[in-house]
Amino acid sequence: MTTQSNVDEVTLSIWDQVQYTADLCVKCNICTSFCTVANVTDLFPGPKFVGPQAQRFRNPHEISVDSSVDYCSGCGVCTLVCPHGVKVMEMNAKARYKLYKEKKWLPIRNRMMGRTDLVGALGSAFAPIANAVLSNGPIRQVVETVFDVHRHAAFPPFSFETFQGWCKKVHKKSKLVSDKRVVFFHGCSINYYEPYLGKAAIAVLEHNGYEVIVPEDQVCCGLPLLSNGEFDAARDKAHTNIDSLVKYAHQGYRIVGTSASCTLSLKSDYKHILDIDTADSELVARQTYDISEFLLELAEAGTLKTDFNPIEATFPYHSPCQLKTHNIGFPAIELMEMIPGVTIKHMQADCCGQAGTYGYKKEKYQIAMDVGKPLFDQILETGSKVAICDSETCRWHIGKATGAKMIHPVELLAQAYGLLNYGKTTKS
Amino acid sequence: MNKYDVVVIGAGLGGLTVACQLAQANKKVLLVSSGAGTLLLASGCVDVLGFQPMDSREPIKNPLDKMATFLTENPNHPYTFTGQENMETGLNAFLQLVNRSSLNYQGSVHRNWLLPSGIGAIHPTCLAPLSLANGDLSKGGTMLLVGFKELRDFYPMLVSQNLNEQKLGVQADAVTIDAPAPIGGNMNVTPIELARAFEKADFRREVVKAIKNSKVIKSSGKGYDRFGFPSVLGLNRHAEVLADLEKQLGKTVFEISTLPPSVPGRRLFEGLRQTFLQLAKGRFLMGTKVVDGTIEKGRVTQIRIDTASELKTIKADHYVLATGGIFGGGLQTDLTGKIWEPIFGLPVVSNSDRHTWFADGFLEPQGQPVNQYGVKINAQMNPVDESNQPLSENLYLVGAIIANSDWTRGRAGEGVGLATAAAVIKQISG
Repeated sequence: MTTQSNVDEVTLSIWDQVQYTADLCVKCNICTSFCTVANVTDLFPGPKFVGPQAQRFRNPHEISVDSSVDYCSGCGVCTLVCPHGVKVMEMNAKARYKLYKEKKWLPIRNRMMGRTDLVGALGSAFAPIANAVLSNGPIRQVVETVFDVHRHAAFPPFSFETFQGWCKKVHKKSKLVSDKRVVFFHGCSINYYEPYLGKAAIAVLEHNGYEVIVPEDQVCCGLPLLSNGEFDAARDKAHTNIDSLVKYAHQGYRIVGTSASCTLSLKSDYKHILDIDTADSELVARQTYDISEFLLELAEAGTLKTDFNPIEATFPYHSPCQLKTHNIGFPAIELMEMIPGVTIKHMQADCCGQAGTYGYKKEKYQIAMDVGKPLFDQILETGSKVAICDSETCRWHIGKATGAKMIHPVELLAQAYGLLNYGKTTKS
Repeated sequence: MNKYDVVVIGAGLGGLTVACQLAQANKKVLLVSSGAGTLLLASGCVDVLGFQPMDSREPIKNPLDKMATFLTENPNHPYTFTGQENMETGLNAFLQLVNRSSLNYQGSVHRNWLLPSGIGAIHPTCLAPLSLANGDLSKGGTMLLVGFKELRDFYPMLVSQNLNEQKLGVQADAVTIDAPAPIGGNMNVTPIELARAFEKADFRREVVKAIKNSKVIKSSGKGYDRFGFPSVLGLNRHAEVLADLEKQLGKTVFEISTLPPSVPGRRLFEGLRQTFLQLAKGRFLMGTKVVDGTIEKGRVTQIRIDTASELKTIKADHYVLATGGIFGGGLQTDLTGKIWEPIFGLPVVSNSDRHTWFADGFLEPQGQPVNQYGVKINAQMNPVDESNQPLSENLYLVGAIIANSDWTRGRAGEGVGLATAAAVIKQISG
């Protein structure tokens, strides 16, 4: 809609390129009109004001101009709808990082939220106790008072057995061996909360003839740290993962994940937000696939197995924000509709409100609920007991708000393939 | 690598309509756009031909009556290549398409609504959402125009006085009220925020109360035939909002276009977007840039898109370029006076001397030369070179990217979009 600046031609770091896109803004306010947060609260004036407009006053050597950027949930709809190429969400992430960096100390809450792996490891090791604590009203009230974590925010129960533990104990010995191989990036949610989803993913991939490699040295993708303002710690995670995955990428193996946000970190955030731009990171990014994206490519090549048992049902499906930012469309819809009898109803919502760890925070919980309201209403209207979404924190948030049983697309595929008993333990 | 029947690039009116109709015809369609498209900056109406000659002040009553003289005077206009039949087909197809959703568009190609614009000028347009069509000035009578102190882009007094001075047979009064909570006092409010507030019943009740208690109603003691609002009457639940206001006020209620972001434009965008997503199993890549396209031996062989992690190659049998003109981003410019089409590198009819781009006055009756710039087409909607040789037989152009569209003048922008869309669908569907 406007003349492109010649930013690309100048040698700038990825970060500076992002910052300079502020110059492409013509203040049309399209981003503001789509912003999921600004539409429900006055605490966030909107992406145009906080993004490109405030950017003009931001100086790396001076203190932050505006603390309202902390209310940006990072859903990224602004960047998607901007017709002029302004990287609004990315700009805001950087501004938020600086805002936190200026604080003498980062809230313990943010440090906790950023370390999903540490919290997960502890919670999982003491799962019965941790789960009792997390589902205890009075204790959650204390947690809210002390840590500013909202008492009603949805935390799934920890799994006593970690996914990695299962892989080492069971999968390693019994896995399918094949010359077709994929690498599975499971993320923290599968490791500590939803091992059954990881098993369903492996079952589906093996059913299609793929040997699944689960690198033991993979760590949290770093996104929770990133969105809680700890870029340096997030970069450490990123480098560990890149080092872990690049050897497989070199052999031409695809890296697949079920979490749309973890895979987005590998694909894009490492580069565009954390400024990691190496040959290795580039290769890992290129080889990374959302699992539905990967399976749909198999289907298009005619190599996906279609021995599905029919499931006669209509399911509401919410495509999470992070998936939209992959720029791959919504491959899960087409994939799931290959199952005879399945109809997918794509919900008309830009965001569920949760946005990773945003909705856990005391001061943001209500915003997350208000943002998600139209989606919740649509899901309830369908009357379906089951709803589908590709991202974990979205599933937990939507499940808690609607009472629907939330599943990942790959779980539906596993069910249709008759593989839900794979790995013996399944979701009750 | 993905293979489609058709790839449509651009999500303005033309791109979305073509994509929806082809998906309806069971084509495997991929829609790619670099953002939410220009509909959010448009009125939400479909203008076909508003003035003839273009600098006339007298709005056209029936666009088809004037089409022949219009085309004689503007032989290179895109309508010449689409023909009248495609224009009619395009408008009818659009009506069928949008009225599948909760949108309620009214009108036909045979008649212009004469709507009040946001500054009280006349906006002749063929198709309009019911809420805007309700403002048709040819109905005459009295109207009260309601503005909000908080909405700084809409001045009801400016509209009413301009309408009255033109002696159009309507008598307009104006009132500005303080918006009730939660908008009240927020002087940075956008039309979209106001539209969301209107979806709440108590907000509407308070608005109606403020209108009924306003001086203009109380002192004059007279009633009005119609009540006009800026176009902020709800977003997703617009029909319900309109009906409720009419019930509470007991009269016809209409909307007047405001400055962007446009609420009626957003409603139309959402209606078409959701229709497409359902028809095409979600094959809409919004916020995805098409980096380049390759033409070999007179055919487009592929395009490449910028995904989160890589440049991805996409192949299709047909490609529709609906990326708009300079305003829409379909044509790029630079400080040296260069104008180019960034995806396929199509030749652009233009003048490289920037001093010739603009007329002396902003609202020059002859229009701005720069708005004539674009890519030449043939009757198949294929791009052609200077000697009218087609450059690619499976690439089709839709909308403002086409040379001589001049969408700001003569009020023909959306008509060009829909007529070219219809012509393209005919080509692709055979």
